[in-house]
Amino acid sequence: MSAHVDFTRADAAASTVPCLPALEVEDLSFTYPGAEAPVLNSLSWEVPEGSFALLVGGTGSGKSTLLSLLKPEIAPTGEREGRLLVLGRPVSDYTPAQSARAIGYVFQNPDNQLVCESVWHEMAFCLENLGMEQGAMRRRVAETSYFLGMEDWFRHDVDTLSGGRKQLLALASTLAVQPRILLLDEPTAQLDPIAEKNFLHALFRVNRELGCTVVVATHQPRAMVDYATCAFRLSGGALTRVDDLEALRERAALLPRVPAAGEEGAGAGRVAVELRRAWFRYDRGDDWVLRNLDLSVRAGRIHALVGGNGCGKSTLLSLMAGVRRLDLGKLVCAERARALLPQDPHALFAEETVDAELMEWASAAGYGQREANEMLDALGLGACAALHPYDLSGGQQQLLALGKLLLTKPRLLLLDEPTKGLDLPARRAIAQLLREQGDAGVTMVVATHDLDFVSQVADDVSMVFDGEIACTAPREEFFRGNVYYRP
Amino acid sequence: MSESVRHAAFDTAHPVVPAVYLVLTLGMTMFCLQPVLILLSLAGAFLYGARTVGWRRCVGSLRWQLPVVLLIAGLNPLFSASGSTELFRLGGCSVYAESLCFGAAMGGLFIASVLWFQAGSRMLSFDRVMALLGNAMPTTALMVSMCMRLIPRFVRQGRTILAVQRASQPREMTAAERLRGRLRASSVLMGWTMEDSLETADAMRARGWEARVRRSTYTRFRFTARDGLSLAALLVAGTVCCLLGYAATAQFSFYPRMSQLLAWWGYAPIALWMLLPTLLLVRAERRFS
Repeated sequence: MSAHVDFTRADAAASTVPCLPALEVEDLSFTYPGAEAPVLNSLSWEVPEGSFALLVGGTGSGKSTLLSLLKPEIAPTGEREGRLLVLGRPVSDYTPAQSARAIGYVFQNPDNQLVCESVWHEMAFCLENLGMEQGAMRRRVAETSYFLGMEDWFRHDVDTLSGGRKQLLALASTLAVQPRILLLDEPTAQLDPIAEKNFLHALFRVNRELGCTVVVATHQPRAMVDYATCAFRLSGGALTRVDDLEALRERAALLPRVPAAGEEGAGAGRVAVELRRAWFRYDRGDDWVLRNLDLSVRAGRIHALVGGNGCGKSTLLSLMAGVRRLDLGKLVCAERARALLPQDPHALFAEETVDAELMEWASAAGYGQREANEMLDALGLGACAALHPYDLSGGQQQLLALGKLLLTKPRLLLLDEPTKGLDLPARRAIAQLLREQGDAGVTMVVATHDLDFVSQVADDVSMVFDGEIACTAPREEFFRGNVYYRP
Repeated sequence: MSESVRHAAFDTAHPVVPAVYLVLTLGMTMFCLQPVLILLSLAGAFLYGARTVGWRRCVGSLRWQLPVVLLIAGLNPLFSASGSTELFRLGGCSVYAESLCFGAAMGGLFIASVLWFQAGSRMLSFDRVMALLGNAMPTTALMVSMCMRLIPRFVRQGRTILAVQRASQPREMTAAERLRGRLRASSVLMGWTMEDSLETADAMRARGWEARVRRSTYTRFRFTARDGLSLAALLVAGTVCCLLGYAATAQFSFYPRMSQLLAWWGYAPIALWMLLPTLLLVRAERRFS
């Protein structure tokens, strides 16, 4: 099933250039200031023009560093050796304006990379920066909007868009200048599976229809294999070509032993949280988010809530956390000690060091330095105690946030997308930690898009749809009954 | 796509046209303290409101508007005890009819201004204001745009931080704890947004921010010859109306005795001016019925 090799390129211009590599890296070494070992070690790399290249590797392997070195305005400072050519020209020769025109760059976080308040203004941002005249700008913006099918939301405010649309807008904004090469750093890590497919499809069309060279750095290449023409793996500072693209589809086990279905944790059978005929809306003028919803979560189990964007999963969590109140219906929650893990761990970080972070609630929750140190080791963050929480990797931040909450010994743990954007080792660590809590009798409700995670870690699964629970079943039964909705 | 669009007056014109109309109208409303002119302005603003957001909402908002007028009318005699027609005495203060009328006129003026501001926000939506700014001050316009993007985001992030805090604190908090919680939340928010802004800055530079000394501005509104004509007509008519308004205000005084109000031809052009947006809307709607 190698769907990736037989595509003929629609763009003639790309094929007339005689095999000029879009990217050429020779003997590149890079060391961050103060670091002992180089991140990239005499690395050589060649990406042919018009290809759809994947750059895979775990967090911290240097993917982002390598990509950003190809874009002089955002290249990190450090010791650099070797040659970097983009479209046959040394990177250092590009002026900022030339670089903005030729090399597009899309970042991971859709919220952080958008600048303006409305969609049309964001589309024009780069063109305005280049001082393009009015007529040409209108044409570029119109063309790009049509190409990506954005007419319906062209006048919307950026803040009202879903994450998937925000990321598509970030792509559109870079495409408007018609770059010849697009570099993307984990562009789909923050998106739900449907939005991810939409985004990748748009990227695929950019590549095949416009002949634009696409390079995507990712630690989850599975969904991209269908589109890719080549892949490279970065590890230990060196780059190797991945010959068997199909191998990238592999799904790794998250837990050493998948718990058998029906295996009960401590205190099983009891209902920990129950919602009866629940109705909820955010404001008087808003539509109902929950409509006559019934749900019961059994104690000591990991209960996953799955469903599309805006179906009410996060709302359910904040109701169970006691942050919001139902408009109608009843919520019974037996556990007083609760904790809520937000989607973005930054919402939890208030201190200067990892150690102080774990100690923030020590006196309020009644634990001491010894427990904090044990937690630090359990999280595998022993070496990072003196670092600033923001200097940790995304996965480590999520682990730290979870550890901080676990120190308060919650009996009900509510988690919003705990594995979003994380690489395999981090997802494994989270899965392990949650499983241990489940065995200790802690009830957990997890709102997530990560069906792979659900199918390996959760006990019960509920599908939320249209403000109601469409079905609730033990994990295995749930996935057995689903035709479309599976990992 | 069944959602119907509520059109505003001047929505086919370049934003500068409604901007000029609004500035002149607000000026005439605020500086002409003359009962007939205030009534005309009030009527114009009210009819336009009724036409765009519906009679029911406009009549509904009279519930707070009328008390405001009565309040100002009632308070004015207490602060300025002038006039010649004494109505009654209140604890040693004389209440004069002129003073009461002056207060009522002030109240009417206040409500008329509020109504015109509301009308203005419908005629000049945010992106139209931005287009006006964008031509004159591109950098300011971009900064305003960036702030408008950040505000809802800060609010959302702040709510998340507070929600996480609240979830871990099941019992009711004391006032001091709540204050401490808010302070902590703002410091968390500060760190979070600073971290985010680093990536935003990178994203801006990656897209050629500061690549050129002069940026250009993408405008969705073109200034056409028709806009030029409308603008010229508005300026001429506006000048005439302002002069008439000045004349009407100058010959009228509340104190010591209210001047006699006469039927005067000069009111007609002003009435027409105040009704202009409503007439434009009615004309636009006629074409579809």
